[in-house]
Amino acid sequence: MKKKLVGQIIIIVILMGSLGNMLVTTDVYDDVLDRIVTVICLSCVKLEPRTRLDFTFDTATGETHPQFVLENLSEGLVFLHYRTDVCAACDDMEPVLRDVFNVSYDITEEFYKTIIFGDTNVTFIHINLDHTSENKKNSFHIYDKDNINGVPMFTIVTLGYDSAFVKPYYATGYGFLGQDNPDDAGLVIMDMIDDASTIYHQNREGYTP
Amino acid sequence: MKKLQWTRLFSQLGFLGLANLGAMGIKTGFCFPFFYCHGCPYASGACPLGTLEHGLYKGHIVGQFLLFPLFILGSICMIFGRAACGWMCPIGLLQRATAPLAKKMEKYSFFKKMGDSFNEKYVRYAKYFVLSILVFLTTALVGFMFTDICPVGFLTGTIPLLILHPTSFTPNAFFPIALIIFILFIFLIVLVGRGWCRYLCPLGALMAPFNKISVIHVDVDRDKCIECMACVKICPMKIKVLDMYRDPECILCGKCIQICPTAAIKYKVTG
Repeated sequence: MKKKLVGQIIIIVILMGSLGNMLVTTDVYDDVLDRIVTVICLSCVKLEPRTRLDFTFDTATGETHPQFVLENLSEGLVFLHYRTDVCAACDDMEPVLRDVFNVSYDITEEFYKTIIFGDTNVTFIHINLDHTSENKKNSFHIYDKDNINGVPMFTIVTLGYDSAFVKPYYATGYGFLGQDNPDDAGLVIMDMIDDASTIYHQNREGYTP
Repeated sequence: MKKLQWTRLFSQLGFLGLANLGAMGIKTGFCFPFFYCHGCPYASGACPLGTLEHGLYKGHIVGQFLLFPLFILGSICMIFGRAACGWMCPIGLLQRATAPLAKKMEKYSFFKKMGDSFNEKYVRYAKYFVLSILVFLTTALVGFMFTDICPVGFLTGTIPLLILHPTSFTPNAFFPIALIIFILFIFLIVLVGRGWCRYLCPLGALMAPFNKISVIHVDVDRDKCIECMACVKICPMKIKVLDMYRDPECILCGKCIQICPTAAIKYKVTG
């Protein structure tokens, strides 16, 4: 019996020691918190946000628009694509985005490219929340206007006229953007770009970065 | 209900409360040592199976997501065996609530046979199939499969989200399938006592082998046993308690310990 108890204690010490070591020497705690607990994988909960692609001036957190968005906004629209490594709906939307924007990238890399749609520049920014800076992670919350806290999330930023000022004006959509499948969601993205482009050209002249 | 069962009830309610500390803004990076969905808006931690799935999604191995839940579960189960199923798990609590209904169903011979037959031990292997094929293999090869149909995720993630944000979400294409499986899950636990734990719970499958080597287990003193079968009748996992030694199905609920007229059954530290 003593032998058995000693064996059990050794296994417990090894397991708890490994757990403690993992918590101290790796980012596993923060990774689980940031990548699994905090951000919902929308396809995993079998739900699709009721997306209303309304443009608004008010950010979800009340913070100002991030610098990396403002820098690009004077050149044209900014399209932000948020995803995580493990997200089935993100995987489903990926080919659609690549098709619409004619881009190719590794899902874990930070990627941006300016594409010309008709007479409008659109800067496509791919943000994988599992592999990005705090600044870009925070932008996810800034644009999460419906407080869904889920991915995939798409935001398009344009310029709008508000009380005598031209300011950043954005719309955010989630999942399949209210559609039944990714292909239809791709058409909604095209519409988003068209609408944002029209508003952009109406207000571009009055914009002071 | 005797003192031990009251203690167990308070324990189950306490862990249900801890699992929902997110309601008070407390979110942690720990995995639950029981089944609860991190998709729940109030969840304070991660589902251990969900974390494991993150660790091998589509063949991309992330060692820390594989090892972290295993170390947490291993540490607890090495000491307490599968007691988390009986003392912590909110789904265990739910099945405790549906147990009186399942008991009533036993008056129908079909359900009695289904729940009582000792031949059902082969059906119990279904949970190992669910764990190895639906949780591990399909996640590694094609992506989420168990997550898409998980009735526990539906109950503790999808439904609370719909209740708390009724206007924000609409069901996606997987919802009807998940709903059907959830209804079957409810039928199962209403018709067969602890049906989920006994037959299908993949987390139970992960924990069950620890009963063989855990420090604490339920021990039967055969010399004191008068074979009254009271323990067999009361066991929610339908184990033939008087013959058991470190049975992987035992959830250490202690009902057999309380009912035994000769005190032949006890919690035992190692041995």
